[in-house]
Amino acid sequence: MTTYILSLVFAVIWVAVTGSATLHNLIFGFALSTLSLWIVREQMSARGYWQRMGRFLSLLALFFKELALSAWKVAVLVMNPRMELKPGIFAYPLTVDRDFEITLLANLITLTPGTLSVDVSQDRRTLFVHAIDCSDAEAVKRDIATGFERKIMEAFR
Amino acid sequence: MTAAQMILSSALWLALVVLGLSFLLTVWRVIKGPTLPDRVVALDMLVGIVIGFIALIAIRTGFTLYIDIAISLGLVGFLATVAFARFILAQGRGDETAEKEASKVIPAPPLAPKRKRASSRKPGAGPAVSGKAKK
Amino acid sequence: MIEVLIALLTALLILVGAGFALVAAVGLTRLPDVYTRMHAASKAGTVGSGLMLLAVALHAGDLSTLARALAGFFFFVLTAPISAHLLAMAAHKMGYPLHEKSVRDELNDYRN
Repeated sequence: MTTYILSLVFAVIWVAVTGSATLHNLIFGFALSTLSLWIVREQMSARGYWQRMGRFLSLLALFFKELALSAWKVAVLVMNPRMELKPGIFAYPLTVDRDFEITLLANLITLTPGTLSVDVSQDRRTLFVHAIDCSDAEAVKRDIATGFERKIMEAFR
Repeated sequence: MTAAQMILSSALWLALVVLGLSFLLTVWRVIKGPTLPDRVVALDMLVGIVIGFIALIAIRTGFTLYIDIAISLGLVGFLATVAFARFILAQGRGDETAEKEASKVIPAPPLAPKRKRASSRKPGAGPAVSGKAKK
Repeated sequence: MIEVLIALLTALLILVGAGFALVAAVGLTRLPDVYTRMHAASKAGTVGSGLMLLAVALHAGDLSTLARALAGFFFFVLTAPISAHLLAMAAHKMGYPLHEKSVRDELNDYRN
């Protein structure tokens, strides 16, 4: 049932994107979205899909907030006439263990103020993060653990 | 000319000037940038600035098809950066700063044959290996 | 009246976007090593071009342009960290050094 509703929503988005609101185009969009949903059907079959939607949206909101904040922080740092940098790479112990979640966390970390994920260890337990201000790595680690990582756990577990 | 048009056109002029300035700064980094990754980062940034230019031109001419061009340019830029990252991984680190700093991460032996191979394909590899021309 | 308001908002978005692009370029020239430069390019640069795309959508004011501009914005925001991460990983694996002021490098410790 949710699949049909989703394909209908996607079809409407398709009509909006292509910009021609004819019946043919709507049907074509519907066929296209049904096909693409059929391709990802195994990932979709998880239970509690709609409940997670809310948490997922809150993760998205957090993401945009952090993006704006980090662009601002970089701006302030760069425009400061005396740049005092203490860059460095620290190891962050991961709690999430699935590939998909690690990818998401790494991307989010890259967009947080002053941090950039560099590499993941072979056993997927540690994420190496480059920080522009590494004088207090423990505080940064705590921020990530209580912020993004917890949100990801809420949204996808 | 209405007030709205005036606000918009003056903002557009100012933004074009600012973007031109940042374009020049980035090009300076591409030319100077001591290492290959520096140049790649600057080229990535250049794509972002050009997308900004395209957006401004779209507003100026009112021709919204430019958005599609911006999106495809972004796609090409992303793929180019990924390809450059693979290139850095494949050719290794065989240029200027390598001699100055003690090589801590890469053990010395595997570096030598790689460098020879990289310089042997110098003619076809384009501007990315221009740093080697000095050697 | 509403026209002036939209023009003002568009102008604001354009100027803020251009400002972020300039900041990213200044950061690219001022910061000391590859990794710190990546911070400037991947954050401020992305936000700059994204804001200018949103300005196009606001100016055109029709649904199809808005949808395409939003798609482009999401695309840029999602791909920028990936390319920055790939570049940083490649540079570090190939042993491009961090700046002397760097306080620690635990990845280096891990590899050795």
